[in-house]
Amino acid sequence: MSDRYDDFDGLDDLEEPRDFPPEGASDDADDGLLEEELRQAAAILDPVPAGLRQVAVDAFALHDLDARVAELTFDSLVDAIPVRGETDPPRMLTFRSDTVTVDVEVTADGLIGQLLPPGPAGIEVLSGPQAHTRLTADDMGRFAGAAPPAGPFALRLRTGDEVVVTEWLRA
Amino acid sequence: MSVLTAAGTTRSTAYDDVSYTRGGTVDRAHVGALVQSAADGDAAAWKSLVDGLGPLVWSVVRAHGLSDADAHEAYQTAWFRFAQHLGRIREPEKTGSWLASTARHECLKLLRASKRWTPTDDPQLLDRPSEDRTPEESVLDSEEAAAQTERVRLLWQEFEELGERCRQLLRVLIASPPPSYQEVSAALGIAVGSIGPMRQRCLRRLRARLETRGTA
Repeated sequence: MSDRYDDFDGLDDLEEPRDFPPEGASDDADDGLLEEELRQAAAILDPVPAGLRQVAVDAFALHDLDARVAELTFDSLVDAIPVRGETDPPRMLTFRSDTVTVDVEVTADGLIGQLLPPGPAGIEVLSGPQAHTRLTADDMGRFAGAAPPAGPFALRLRTGDEVVVTEWLRA
Repeated sequence: MSVLTAAGTTRSTAYDDVSYTRGGTVDRAHVGALVQSAADGDAAAWKSLVDGLGPLVWSVVRAHGLSDADAHEAYQTAWFRFAQHLGRIREPEKTGSWLASTARHECLKLLRASKRWTPTDDPQLLDRPSEDRTPEESVLDSEEAAAQTERVRLLWQEFEELGERCRQLLRVLIASPPPSYQEVSAALGIAVGSIGPMRQRCLRRLRARLETRGTA
């Protein structure tokens, strides 16, 4: 599976000798019918799980036009060069909005972070539309807490009169 | 190109000037308006978006061969991010592509993370059977539907045994309603222009497999 991350640019497994009939209008129609039959099979055998659909419906509660979004600008999983011999490196994340930068480090032991510019803030660790835990950043902008629960998470920061939410991701 | 989609509905004329694009049963031009309504606080519009685009997002995560647990998390992350960016997306009418691309990038990350942190990268070993039963599945359990069940399962089995690239492409294409080629492109990181020819080859390959089993 070494080609798993390929951008689909090769057609290697398609480059077999042609054993298919030449193209034609009736074949196009057959293709469409087969695709539709497969679509129905997918709807029966591999539909969106009902519980998951409900999570997406409930996610509407997460929309907040008043909060600024701090976008993910660095993710060690993608952007860092792996260190040889380090089998379980911490996940380093950086989020940026117009006004604040949030550095976060996530390990199995917990979550630590730093706000820039440094300053106190109330922080909620969100793990879905309802659930969250609260942390506090000290005067130096430092904060720490338990590892976020399994699944996607985001941080909602309140600094003075501003609310910033980091982009959702799974740590 | 046929004026009828495979489903037999009239193809939207909104796409006539866009090459390589198919109109699905949902008018994608309507998506921009739904996104605007949802951003203005309309929960029903949001629900429509979940029902109209959720199957596409699910297809994208399924196409990437994640474990069930990771697939669920990638799906959730895409919708949480969309909720978060609601009202901020520059081209709301292209929300399908935005969601497909977001889901794809999350899938690629989860694949990387699982390679790094789990002793096995065989997603089959991590799979848990889904406990959700759909009405369609229940219907299939009835005696009368046995023959249809057999045909559907056989088709699905042959589909799952296709090469990885064909399986990926077809899994995204068979989202319901059918995605546009722009959405498929965003879902898989492939050029829009290569989708049509690849689709044709993959469907013919599938048909050849079914013919070999004498069930086409």
